[in-house]
Amino acid sequence: MKRIGAIFLGSVFVFCGVSFHTSEAAEFYAGKTIEVVVPFKEGGGTDVWMRVMAPYLQKHIAGNPKILIRNIPGGESIHGVNQYVLRYKPDGLSMVATSATNYFHALLGVKAVQYDFAKLKPLLVNPVGGVVYAAPYLGVKTAADLPKTKERLVYAGISATGLDLVMLLAFEVLGQDLKAVLGYEGRGPSRLAFERGESNIDYQTTPAYVASVVPLVKEGKAIPLMSFGQVSETGALVRDPAFPELSTVGEAYELLHSKKPAGAAWEAYKAFNAAAFSIQKILWVKAEAPPESVKAVLEGVDRLQKDAEFNQKAENVLGGYPALRGDRLEVAIQRTFQLPLEARRFVQELLEKKYNVVVK
Amino acid sequence: MWDSALVALGMFLDPFHLCMLLVGVVEGIVIGLLPGMGGTACVAILLPFIYQMGPHTAMAVLVGALAVVHTSDTITAVLIGTPASSASATTVLDGHPMARQGQAARALSAAFLSSLIGGFIGVIALTLSIPVARPLVLTFGSPELFMLCFLGLGFAAFLTGETPLKGMISAALGLLVGAVGVAPNVAHYRYTFDQLYLMDGLPLVCVALGLFGIAEVVDLLAGGGKIAERIDLGQGWMQGVRDVIQHRWMVLRGSLIGVWTGILPGIGASAGSWMSYGHAVVVSKDREQFGKGDVRGIIAPEAANNAVEAGDLIPTLLFSVPGGPPSAILMGALIVFGIQPGPRMLTEHMDLIFTIIWSFALANIIGAALCLALCVPLARLTAIRFDYLAPAILIIMIFGAYQSTRHMGDISVMLGLGLLGWGMKRLGWARPPFLIAFVLSNPTERYLWISVNRYGLSWLGRPGTLVILGLLIVSLAYWLLSRRRKKPDETSQAMSDWRFRPEAVFTLGVMFLLAAAAWDASGFPFYAALLPLVVAIPGVAMAAGQFVLDLRGRDRQKEVLDLATSEAAASRKGTLRALLVFAIIVAYYGLIVAVGFRIATLIFLVGFLRFLPHAGWGRTALYTAGMFAVIEAFTRLLDMEMAEGIWQLWP
Repeated sequence: MKRIGAIFLGSVFVFCGVSFHTSEAAEFYAGKTIEVVVPFKEGGGTDVWMRVMAPYLQKHIAGNPKILIRNIPGGESIHGVNQYVLRYKPDGLSMVATSATNYFHALLGVKAVQYDFAKLKPLLVNPVGGVVYAAPYLGVKTAADLPKTKERLVYAGISATGLDLVMLLAFEVLGQDLKAVLGYEGRGPSRLAFERGESNIDYQTTPAYVASVVPLVKEGKAIPLMSFGQVSETGALVRDPAFPELSTVGEAYELLHSKKPAGAAWEAYKAFNAAAFSIQKILWVKAEAPPESVKAVLEGVDRLQKDAEFNQKAENVLGGYPALRGDRLEVAIQRTFQLPLEARRFVQELLEKKYNVVVK
Repeated sequence: MWDSALVALGMFLDPFHLCMLLVGVVEGIVIGLLPGMGGTACVAILLPFIYQMGPHTAMAVLVGALAVVHTSDTITAVLIGTPASSASATTVLDGHPMARQGQAARALSAAFLSSLIGGFIGVIALTLSIPVARPLVLTFGSPELFMLCFLGLGFAAFLTGETPLKGMISAALGLLVGAVGVAPNVAHYRYTFDQLYLMDGLPLVCVALGLFGIAEVVDLLAGGGKIAERIDLGQGWMQGVRDVIQHRWMVLRGSLIGVWTGILPGIGASAGSWMSYGHAVVVSKDREQFGKGDVRGIIAPEAANNAVEAGDLIPTLLFSVPGGPPSAILMGALIVFGIQPGPRMLTEHMDLIFTIIWSFALANIIGAALCLALCVPLARLTAIRFDYLAPAILIIMIFGAYQSTRHMGDISVMLGLGLLGWGMKRLGWARPPFLIAFVLSNPTERYLWISVNRYGLSWLGRPGTLVILGLLIVSLAYWLLSRRRKKPDETSQAMSDWRFRPEAVFTLGVMFLLAAAAWDASGFPFYAALLPLVVAIPGVAMAAGQFVLDLRGRDRQKEVLDLATSEAAASRKGTLRALLVFAIIVAYYGLIVAVGFRIATLIFLVGFLRFLPHAGWGRTALYTAGMFAVIEAFTRLLDMEMAEGIWQLWP
């Protein structure tokens, strides 16, 4: 009986939902507050991203809800997402903003992770990209020249289980030896290490590359080699729209080995690249959130994309990439999290053998 | 360059712009006063409010706040011996004993004046080094950064007083507590006991607050009475000014040390004030008074901690590499305005750089002036019975510590280290080596392994490495040679009877901790294991040596470079009282976990006031209402949060 009742009630809701869709979506957030959990510290990349977005979302979501940002940092930023999943109601009034690290923990199977992205719905996605550049004294002009250099490639990184993994996997794919010196505090310090000659090959994400590396390139102190590429909705690696002139890691492989890349390393590279860059920042809501709330936000994102003031003001934070509607990318996002078993094993073995890391 | 400077200065003619700077300054002063908040909180709180402003005004607010935090945090450090931020723990050492001797006004005015000068020198250094900052920063590679950390650890040795063994064990403990969390060079978690909270390591603020703050409050309550029995107001104020003039070179050197630690990202801001304190101890001929109220122990670190913030702006603005969490937030704010810090700042946003510089300079003057004016009335606080002050201080400390990551773990860490800190203080273990080692633990390990992995052993021969090593050796030699050895006097000879004393129990506990740390570390991967092993194994041996000394009772009379316990608190009755106070605090924490911050605080506050100072119902009601008004105001206006309990009865 209970079940029939539930189905009946459910269909009434669906009926109402369909018939009064637009008005309900418009009214859902009127006079309400959306709390956005940011599992990082104030001033971090994801926090800044959300803070830049917040006033425009406030303006474009029907009903103009107030957006409150709640930073829950700590616990390797697993803690904040765990808190969101475990302690917040699926009422559409709370969301979570995540970044690459959160996906890496899930992809690597870290035990402390209590969230499952399949149970969340992406609302807003912001891709970003990365460019690999080298010191001029290596004598390389493109990635295809890499085998010719006599110097040992030295890379200054942070941690093998962080964003650096994409760089390490790229060089696994290319079959190029790379000495990774790990332990730097962040991408900024590792760029400093490049500038003072401690490393001779490095990468930076798009905004940092544009702000800090392009001046070096102009001075002749750095040579751009390749971009990490973007993983398209069909799962192929395509050129980065912010750097259409740079070849991708895949293209570099083809030039070096005269065949298309394939295999576990390639699959792993694509998955971690997607997680790190193509879908780097995502604003999620719980999958069970009221459909009218989801609709209201998605329609808000539509209007946001057309806002000229937003596009101009947020250019730096967006890094030359569009803010995308989450539902359009849902398939691609969920595909990223279904990493083939052999690819996961490949990464775990790489981490264990080369970098002394056992994922727990 | 200079016309941008004038353009930026011209903006302060706009009353709104100037007003916003003032708002920042006042906010910075208030947050600086609160134990546990400090620089990070003061800018984080302002973040949501800056959207409606333009980038120049926003920078005026943020920098205005940041520039004065380390001026006002001195007040808490001096008056109640509680570091409001991690950098002011240094000021506690000599500032608080001065307050207890009735010289609060002198200590405060000396501190504010040296803060002001330090900030100014910082700003000048910042302006002058803009054209040469790039090559300057780039000369310091990982080996040099490691050597600087090593120098800092060496400085910890100067802070051990007459009990070098205890001091070294204390530093070993600091290094190990600093090793909790993910190892810097390999993704391995150390000493986390599968607790997610511990994975990022312990928050510095909670460690400093526990080690010094909680320990001090417990001790003061155990001793009873007031902080100072007799206060010296007007005279002291002028004396402080004279002190700064007399020690002007120390102010200058302290400021320069601060600027440098700020400019070099990776070492951490609070290391700057410790190094400056260490330098003051080394260069002073008569060191007996350090830790007991030597004004030089205030002047040097206070000059440094404001200069650090100014120096820190260089890597933040020109390299987009912030040196500490507050400047990371500042950088985030710039990005919000579409400005990505980096070398292009010099060509595209020079005016903004100067807005920041002028804001810093102006805020420094206004902040120091406000604080100087407050000196005398604030010094009067020390004449209030401490059991009236204590509950408010405890509540704000717990509230403040919780803001650090908004996890109950923050409070646990503070209380755990509070117990350790109280034990150390009571039994004559110097705490400064612990804190400086804690601060430097991660950077030391990080840059050591980077150097070894990158350069093998060849980095040891780099000129920079050798210069810093030379500096350390010279300082050490100077310190050792000029140490006046006290002859063991009769009493300590007579004390040499073999007996099992309470201090032996404490040492045994420390030895057990060190041994457990070594045992656990033996299972870590190589890069994660080496530092804990190198620290813990000799640590166990040293603790064993100390245990023998404890049994003989030889250390009892020796001087420690740290705050001493009052006679009343050192008695058996005092110890029992201290333990009782501690139990009350733990019970309060337990209540918070159970029913949430509001109700727990209500019960604690009313109970405390009724039973300890035996306050009447009228006073209790008034006090409670005032306390709640303050906390509600912080929560609502400044977006802070109260801890939620398991059974949250009252939202």
